[in-house]
Amino acid sequence: MEPIIETHGLKKIYHVGKVEVEALRGVDCIIHEGEFVAVVGPSGCGKSTFLHILGGLTGPTSGRVLVDGNDFTHMSDADRTRFRRHKIGFVFQRFNLLPTLTARNNIAIAQHIQGNGFNPHRFQAVVEMLGIQAKLDHRPYALSGGEQQRVAIARAVICDPKLLLADEPTGNLDTENSQTVLNMIRGLNKTFGQTVLMITHNPEAAAVADRTIHMRDGRIISD
Amino acid sequence: MVNKLIVSNILYRPVRTALSALAVAMEVAMVMLFVGLAHGLVNDSAHRQEGVGADVMVQPSGSSFLLAFSQSPMPLTIGGRLEQVPHVLAVAPTLILFNTGALSMVYGIDMDSFNRVSGGFAYHAGGPFTKPYNLLVDDLYAKSKHIKVGQTVDLLNHQFTVSGIVEHGKGARLFIPLPTAEDLLQVKDRATIFWVKCTEPAYTDKVVGAIRQLLPQCQVTAVKEWMSLMTSNNLPGLNVFTTVIIVIAVGIGFLVIFLSMYTTITERTREIGILKSLGASKGYIIAVILREASLLSAVGILAGYGVALITRKLILANFPTLVIELTMLWAGYAAVLAIAGSLLGAFYPAMRAAQLDPVDALAYE
Repeated sequence: MEPIIETHGLKKIYHVGKVEVEALRGVDCIIHEGEFVAVVGPSGCGKSTFLHILGGLTGPTSGRVLVDGNDFTHMSDADRTRFRRHKIGFVFQRFNLLPTLTARNNIAIAQHIQGNGFNPHRFQAVVEMLGIQAKLDHRPYALSGGEQQRVAIARAVICDPKLLLADEPTGNLDTENSQTVLNMIRGLNKTFGQTVLMITHNPEAAAVADRTIHMRDGRIISD
Repeated sequence: MVNKLIVSNILYRPVRTALSALAVAMEVAMVMLFVGLAHGLVNDSAHRQEGVGADVMVQPSGSSFLLAFSQSPMPLTIGGRLEQVPHVLAVAPTLILFNTGALSMVYGIDMDSFNRVSGGFAYHAGGPFTKPYNLLVDDLYAKSKHIKVGQTVDLLNHQFTVSGIVEHGKGARLFIPLPTAEDLLQVKDRATIFWVKCTEPAYTDKVVGAIRQLLPQCQVTAVKEWMSLMTSNNLPGLNVFTTVIIVIAVGIGFLVIFLSMYTTITERTREIGILKSLGASKGYIIAVILREASLLSAVGILAGYGVALITRKLILANFPTLVIELTMLWAGYAAVLAIAGSLLGAFYPAMRAAQLDPVDALAYE
């Protein structure tokens, strides 16, 4: 398997007023295509920052990040945005659906932004796999948390990304819905070979993954 | 898809949408009504002077083309000399008084000569002057002031009795006998203007030339030439006034759209973060916001046309002597100004949205 993620000496420093906060203090990591990796660690250990850098939402302060062979270190913000559009799918703890759009349009807008137009076959396959056919014309406020997260997963994978990044995907869900969402992410990984990197606090959720990375104080302490 | 997003955003916040569209509507209506009123009043005045039926106007030298401001009346004896000019059919001396109460002109006329030049008044009610302090009013003035024949009217600090109501379009809206006008101005045998009618309109240039030779101290103008000068562009201060009104109107539209889009960007910070996480470029975000502002403008422009038409109807019902010309040309200009103002107002918020850090935007509460 080819590595899809490689990080070497990855550091990220945030400036909060005059104070420098070291969110990542040298992260070295390799994740291969098709892996399902869980990143666990206490709050403030830098796991969300790690995910944001891998998703190209923010750049590293130093170190190297290669995602699917592309070195983020030397990429402009516009290039990272273009890369994210085609190669990355995000799932967030708070679902982050656009409140004014229906579930159908929340999913379709990802295809529109990607620029390849609406693909009805892919759309149908994804909504069937996630079991949200009956909810497509509902707006987010009319959906349960589990349904919203399934729509968010559909939006994340509709463009067939190389990498699915999930930030506490079960953090706002009850046990039953958490299990459903985890099963779906697991299914995407097993059925389609989707590479998944999932951040979680929940040991039960982490147990679903093939591999668990533990972080503390901006470093990987075990893999 | 972007259209769906924009329409759903607009419908999702109906009060903001209604207020923004209303501001643009006010802007469009304000531009159309003020410009329409300025052009309408000038054109109406010009057409009424043309309606006198003369081909040539003779005024004292240095007179303003605005007849209400004409000064230094000329001796009536000039009229006799003008009648001797070849191809002159009739000459009507008129003493013009300015009615400051209604900001309008009052013509002091010699009824016989004025009828020869103009072809005579068409009476809606009553008839010509029979007494010195008789007054003729046109039908629009009578309608706006609810005036009837026989009624007494305060005019130029005197009491006049309305002897007739005539069809509008013969110079002024109010007419009094020439000797009475002379008394009011404390002049004797004087006229502000001589209306000259040619035997054929084709002789106008010849007649103008002959009068200029005969009376070199006078200002002689063909009515057609005067009509071409009577545009709002030639009226001192009117263009500046119109421009100021347009700038204020566009400024209102700009500020309201700016505030509306600025607050909406703040309110939708998280949504912008979501779009960015999906890979939306800065251009995509800017386009979404500018298109939303354009749609708000378009709704406002259509509403503005409606407001302008309704307001015009209401004004004319209450003030029939006013003329408001709503033209397609200015409807187009108003639309362009509204769109430009809106895009300008939305540009900074759009840039600000595009510059948002996606991580901060996604964490926005």
